[in-house]
Amino acid sequence: MIDINDLQKIYRMGDVEVRALDGVTLDIQKGEFLGIMGASGSGKTTLLHMLGLLDEPTSGNIIIDGTDIGRLSDYEKTMFRLYKLGYVFQDYALVPDLTVMENVSLPAMLRKDRDEEQIKNDSASILKKIGLYERQDHLPRELSGGQQQRVSIARAMVNKPDILFADEPCANLDSESSRVVLELFKEINEDFNQTIVMVSHEDWHKDYFHRIVRLKDGKVISDGFNGKDKKAA
Amino acid sequence: MGKKELKVAFLLALRSLQRGSRSSVILTILIIGMCFTNMVFLPGLFNGIGQSITKQIVDYETGNVMVNPKTGEQYVTDLDALLDRINSMPGVERATPHYTKAATVKYRDRVLGVSVRAIKPGDEKFVSPLYTKMVSGSYLGEDDTGEVIIGKPIAGDPTIKRADENQASLGGVRVGDSITLEYGGIVREYRVKGIYYTGWYSADTTMYTTWSDMEQVEGKALDKAEYITVKIKPGYSEKFIKNELQQYGVSEDVQTMSDLLEKSMGRALQSFAIINAVSLFVGVIITTVVLFIVITIKTLNSRKQIGILKAIGVDKEVIMHNFGLQVIILAILGIAFGVIMTFLLSIYMAYNPVVTPEWSATLYLTPMDYVTNCLILFLASVVAGYVPAYQVSREDIQSAMRA
Repeated sequence: MIDINDLQKIYRMGDVEVRALDGVTLDIQKGEFLGIMGASGSGKTTLLHMLGLLDEPTSGNIIIDGTDIGRLSDYEKTMFRLYKLGYVFQDYALVPDLTVMENVSLPAMLRKDRDEEQIKNDSASILKKIGLYERQDHLPRELSGGQQQRVSIARAMVNKPDILFADEPCANLDSESSRVVLELFKEINEDFNQTIVMVSHEDWHKDYFHRIVRLKDGKVISDGFNGKDKKAA
Repeated sequence: MGKKELKVAFLLALRSLQRGSRSSVILTILIIGMCFTNMVFLPGLFNGIGQSITKQIVDYETGNVMVNPKTGEQYVTDLDALLDRINSMPGVERATPHYTKAATVKYRDRVLGVSVRAIKPGDEKFVSPLYTKMVSGSYLGEDDTGEVIIGKPIAGDPTIKRADENQASLGGVRVGDSITLEYGGIVREYRVKGIYYTGWYSADTTMYTTWSDMEQVEGKALDKAEYITVKIKPGYSEKFIKNELQQYGVSEDVQTMSDLLEKSMGRALQSFAIINAVSLFVGVIITTVVLFIVITIKTLNSRKQIGILKAIGVDKEVIMHNFGLQVIILAILGIAFGVIMTFLLSIYMAYNPVVTPEWSATLYLTPMDYVTNCLILFLASVVAGYVPAYQVSREDIQSAMRA
């Protein structure tokens, strides 16, 4: 589903060159719940941003469902994100002036293949799934951190994306809320065979992942299933 | 951009205004409203001054059309025949003659130099509203002799000392008092029949007597006039009457009020137009800059959110129109506020005009003035809003999200 080939990202700050990603090569299969783990500065968020079309690599390529995303125009990338991808951010990133329902419906409202009835039904259905249907008219500031993150997940899921990306979604949550959010990801993965790529630096999160890729200094240092890491070749 | 994108942009714009900083929204609307008022107030006031002066000149000086002596002559002669001819023309409401003589007026210890204007009171009523401006006593009768009506500034106020007066007066003449007028050796006693106040300096510093009385002063029938003023009937243009008079063989110097105004006020009107243009330009610049700053701050504060919206698949056009529509909504509300404020101001000024010794003015704005200024301000607002919106919507996702 996702082929990553020799991905490099180099930041230049004056004469200093920082290799945020240094030759990452990976395959991600449909239905996987993949965890990208590593210490701070290891390149995991940079990799997620490349996969989510939020940033461009210095070299290498990413092919998603047969599409080389490096060849897409700016507008095509926007449409690719809208139709194919879902994104959950560390700080929830909800639009503060929109209600829960409006936030969740927003990406669906832009899709040309959805009518109003379908948008309403899909949004209501996903809100029921995350247990916040009753709070659909509330503003984000009226919700707890955990609830806001669940709304963020609902927003990412409303368009039924091919791949769901999550960038340290539990970083701002207490352990109980984190567990609720992770359970939700697990449920989504199991119920809808949803491909999920999630960045985390919390070691206990690995119990939820099918597969874990560990990064260090921009390189894959291990890649394995069910916590059984194999050293990268 | 499709209907769906526009709908999302409108939803984002509306919610941002509804649920964002209320004080910022109110202040922006106030600023736009004030800018609108600033743009229309000065031109409106100048228009009002122009209208007021024009009306007073028509009412007390020229009428709609003025017939002056031929070039090189001092008086319009063969007056009765000329008046008959003019009054018989279609479109002429009434023509009335004026004859002015310089005099010295004495009242108790006060002595003043004045102009005494002879009029035919009955005809004058058709041409000038002077008869409606009596503040005490009454207007002249057709055959009155030995009676005058005088302007309030000449009559004076007995409570004000001579040293404190803005202009010399008779120190408090009242209706029924006797005054003495001396016309170059001819001395006559007059009774003050009425005191008027028009607000037009030239009229208020003149004394009026009847044509019959002036004939006694001159000692003969007056078949000449210094000038004739003509009032036209509704539906006729001044130019039409002027042409008609000339075609009917009136060989005197015939000029419309517009001709005279152009000669006497042309430069002043040009100056007003320049000031109006400067005022409009400054108003538009202020509005544009203020809105540009407001929207720039708003977009800069929303950079992270803009990055997020782009990340979830919202196109940059939608983001740009979101901010653009916010400005459009703010501009519409601000302009509406400005229109209401200006309208209320014009009502207030209708009851409390700006009064000077020479004229009084209200705010004079035509519907076209409102429409033009609304459109100019709206366009300025849209430009001021869309420029920062365009800039920020082009920013790459990473930079925006890091903000």
